[in-house]
Amino acid sequence: MDFVQNFPAVSILLCLFAGIISSGLRKKAARSVNIILILIVTFLSVCTLFYTMGTGEAFVYVMGRFPAPWGNEIRAGVLGPLMALFFCVIMLLSLEGGRKKLVDEVEEEKTFLYYVLMDLLLASLLALIYTNDLFTAYVFVEINTIAACGLIMIRQNGRTIEAAARYMIMSLLGSGLLLMGICMLYDLTGHLLMSNIREQVIYLYSAGEYRIPLLVTIALMSVGLAIKSALFPFHAWLPDAYGYSTVSSAAVLSSLVSKGYILLLIKIIYRVIGFDVFYNSRIIDVLFAFGLMGMIFGSVSAIRENDVRRMIAFSSVAQIGYIYMGIGMGTQAGMTASVFHILSHAATKSLLFIAAIGLTDVSGGSRKLVELTGAAYRNKWAGAAFTVGSLSMVGVPLFSGFISKLLFSQAAVQNGTKMLPALIVLGISTILNAIYFMKTVIRIYTPVESGKYKGIQFMKMKRYCLTLVCFVALNVILGVFSQPIVDLIEQGLVMFS
Amino acid sequence: MYYIILSILFPVLSGICLLVRKEMKNRRNLLWTTGILLTITGVLVMLSLYTWQGGMLALFNLTPRLPILFKIDEVSVIFAVMAVIIFLCAGFFSFVYMKHEDKEKRYYGFYLIVFGVLLALCFAGNLITFYLFFEMLTLVSMPLVLHSGTREAIMAGLKYLFYSLSGAYLALFGLYFIERYGNTLTFSPGGVISSQTAAGYGAMLLGIAFAMLIGFGVKAGMFPMHAWLLAAHPVAPAPASAVLSAVIAKAGVLAVVRVVYYIFGASFLRGTWVQKTWMALTLITILMGSVLAYREPVLKKRLAYSTVSQVSYILFGLSVMNTDALTGGFLHVLCHGFIKAGLFLCAGAIIYKTGKTRVEEFRGVGKEMPILMWCYTVLSLGLIGIPPMCGFVSKWYLAKGALASALPGFWWIGPVILLVSALLTAGYLLPVTIRGFFPGADYEYNALEKKEPSWLMMVPVLILTVLSVAIGLVPNELIDYLWQMIEKVL
Repeated sequence: MDFVQNFPAVSILLCLFAGIISSGLRKKAARSVNIILILIVTFLSVCTLFYTMGTGEAFVYVMGRFPAPWGNEIRAGVLGPLMALFFCVIMLLSLEGGRKKLVDEVEEEKTFLYYVLMDLLLASLLALIYTNDLFTAYVFVEINTIAACGLIMIRQNGRTIEAAARYMIMSLLGSGLLLMGICMLYDLTGHLLMSNIREQVIYLYSAGEYRIPLLVTIALMSVGLAIKSALFPFHAWLPDAYGYSTVSSAAVLSSLVSKGYILLLIKIIYRVIGFDVFYNSRIIDVLFAFGLMGMIFGSVSAIRENDVRRMIAFSSVAQIGYIYMGIGMGTQAGMTASVFHILSHAATKSLLFIAAIGLTDVSGGSRKLVELTGAAYRNKWAGAAFTVGSLSMVGVPLFSGFISKLLFSQAAVQNGTKMLPALIVLGISTILNAIYFMKTVIRIYTPVESGKYKGIQFMKMKRYCLTLVCFVALNVILGVFSQPIVDLIEQGLVMFS
Repeated sequence: MYYIILSILFPVLSGICLLVRKEMKNRRNLLWTTGILLTITGVLVMLSLYTWQGGMLALFNLTPRLPILFKIDEVSVIFAVMAVIIFLCAGFFSFVYMKHEDKEKRYYGFYLIVFGVLLALCFAGNLITFYLFFEMLTLVSMPLVLHSGTREAIMAGLKYLFYSLSGAYLALFGLYFIERYGNTLTFSPGGVISSQTAAGYGAMLLGIAFAMLIGFGVKAGMFPMHAWLLAAHPVAPAPASAVLSAVIAKAGVLAVVRVVYYIFGASFLRGTWVQKTWMALTLITILMGSVLAYREPVLKKRLAYSTVSQVSYILFGLSVMNTDALTGGFLHVLCHGFIKAGLFLCAGAIIYKTGKTRVEEFRGVGKEMPILMWCYTVLSLGLIGIPPMCGFVSKWYLAKGALASALPGFWWIGPVILLVSALLTAGYLLPVTIRGFFPGADYEYNALEKKEPSWLMMVPVLILTVLSVAIGLVPNELIDYLWQMIEKVL
């Protein structure tokens, strides 16, 4: 066994330990631990990524030396480390961008808790990415939920507590359904390790036994994860949770937490149920239909919103819809597009949240669109970054959003029956996106006469600006040099199963 | 060979530099900088046209099958030369005109960027590159529309944005299909539709072709997606309207040329419902634009309506798909480009000097600024199509092509509508001249003061006028050149 194969397990354990240690540290120390942790995990992920790219196949790491049907396993191909790397980068940038706001909005003596929660969140995300055991996945889903709730609630005001309660209820409902699915699957197959379950599922399926229980299981797990990742009719918790929490939380929640669940779903599709079995169940069409509806209704809600943070939050509903539409196409190309969109949306949405906070700060803290008039002149960097994010969301070439739309449409063209609805809804949703994002961009670039609010200079917020520059660079990299990344994703999906 | 890249990047980068620079204290410095940058860009374009040796220039791949690619062919040459001339003329004109508007730096910055993006559009070698810059053109030209920042301008800008984005999306929709059913996305004369993969999908591909025509037709103001043009072109500052009407609307024409003759191929579309519907739409647009212009009292708006009508002349020529009509269409590209730019600059000069915008206020303008009014008159005659002006030559070929086409119904309806619309053109352009030169008996000649604009305004208008007359007098060289190109694509 190569030394690098330890890295995934080590990075999960490191995060857990860092969380425990940080709970005894003071604010500054907890922050440094968090930053160092993320950097280490980034480094480990890069090593693992290069290792798996070199060997060209996924490896299995047995935890605790128990052999296959009983033990707990970790499995990493190309996709896992790629996602881990990406999540780390986004988390680091989101935290850096919202650092100043964090100091303002969170009580001083609770700040260390924020970093504890972040460490645990990272641990659970990594575990969701790497684990090969369905029950371990469930355990970390719960850790993820609790950490996310904490992140929403740590900014103490009435709305966040209400939002957190809502999030908790919906999320636990989702976990409950997932748990029921896992129980039934255990009952049907007698295994908890993903690869073993799949063998049994394929056997059951080809024998034609337990058709209906299997269908119900797939439905339960899909719906459970759909609720947790805010797919359209289950998105009621989302706008408040993203809209009122402190900005780093919003960025992390929208770009990482919901994506972790989607990754788990993709993993279940490939590694637990098997792509063909999943494809032959009707559930995939349901996901497709909900995805399409989400794309439209999310955008319509965003258009009607006049609070910029909630508008961005509603746009997430639409973007999650895109991802589910890709999954719902039931083709390799659709799946690739979805995974790419996970990256692209994560990079763009966190950029938008961070940039929006810069704009609201120079508008007297008000988040109403009317007050934002001319904000881009008062904070030029945030204005430019917000414009880039908006253009990417609308799908303008050179930015990441265009590539994901391109991939989605290419996938749609190859798919006979789902081609027309997918393309038409993509078109409508692009235009709807353009309506609310361009409206905002024009608003922030509309000059105002009176100096009602004061502008802010680069020197006052160097780190914030650098974060924005990094985000924009990330977006452009995804938009221009997408080819190697798409290749990696395709390779990773092959290794996934 | 790399002059192409330079001629695209240079204006874009210098525009961005101009935008992020601090406000210059001295207006003169800004003008000198812009003037020099514009001239250098023009020189670079000419160099890239002269040094081009054929082949293609691939930059990088967007996805495995989608490279970003540039090349120069005859169509690029025509559009690029036109763009350079008009951009330079309107640019120098705005040095005076923009004195009475503020935010000049922003205007020149975006002006340069639009210039660069437009050149990229001319040089684009495949559909994906073209689409990329087509989208960008919409975004970077929007600030020109929004320039005054009034509510009207913002609404017009939004309208422009949504029409263009919807149109571009319709076109993008087609791109995916062509990628699947075509041999390549590179523009090649005669089309790229592969006979093997496309077999059995003919009906679907026709639908796609139609969607792309409508989608790209948005920029050219083709009915039913013309409404944005009427709102957006008049609200911009006059030199920007000149560029928008004369060059940027032509980007839509360029797109249609590329799609019809370099992607689908004329033989694929000839005689199908797509050709007939398209032709009907262009004829409706021609008539509608002229009628609307005839009823419009504000000169700049009138000129914008006229653009809708005149650009559809070009599209009509393209839709007939024979040598004569195509010759007429391409001639009208240049002809309308120079004339409409010149007319907008005249309107701008009148606004700048007298503040008058409505045609009925123009009494005696010709007495105040005779040279300008003479230019206006010559340009108008050119657009109406009175020999020996250039409009006559292009319309002659358009009508000849339409008559020669065997399309039932259209062969005679086309020329009739061209004639009616020419009459209407005379009806909406000449009243300005008439009021300007013949103010009537009660006009007080004693109060007359000369208001002739300065040479910096006059020279661009004169250049455009001379060019439009020159094309009409000696069109043969140009027509030979066009025939060479048309031979390849038909």
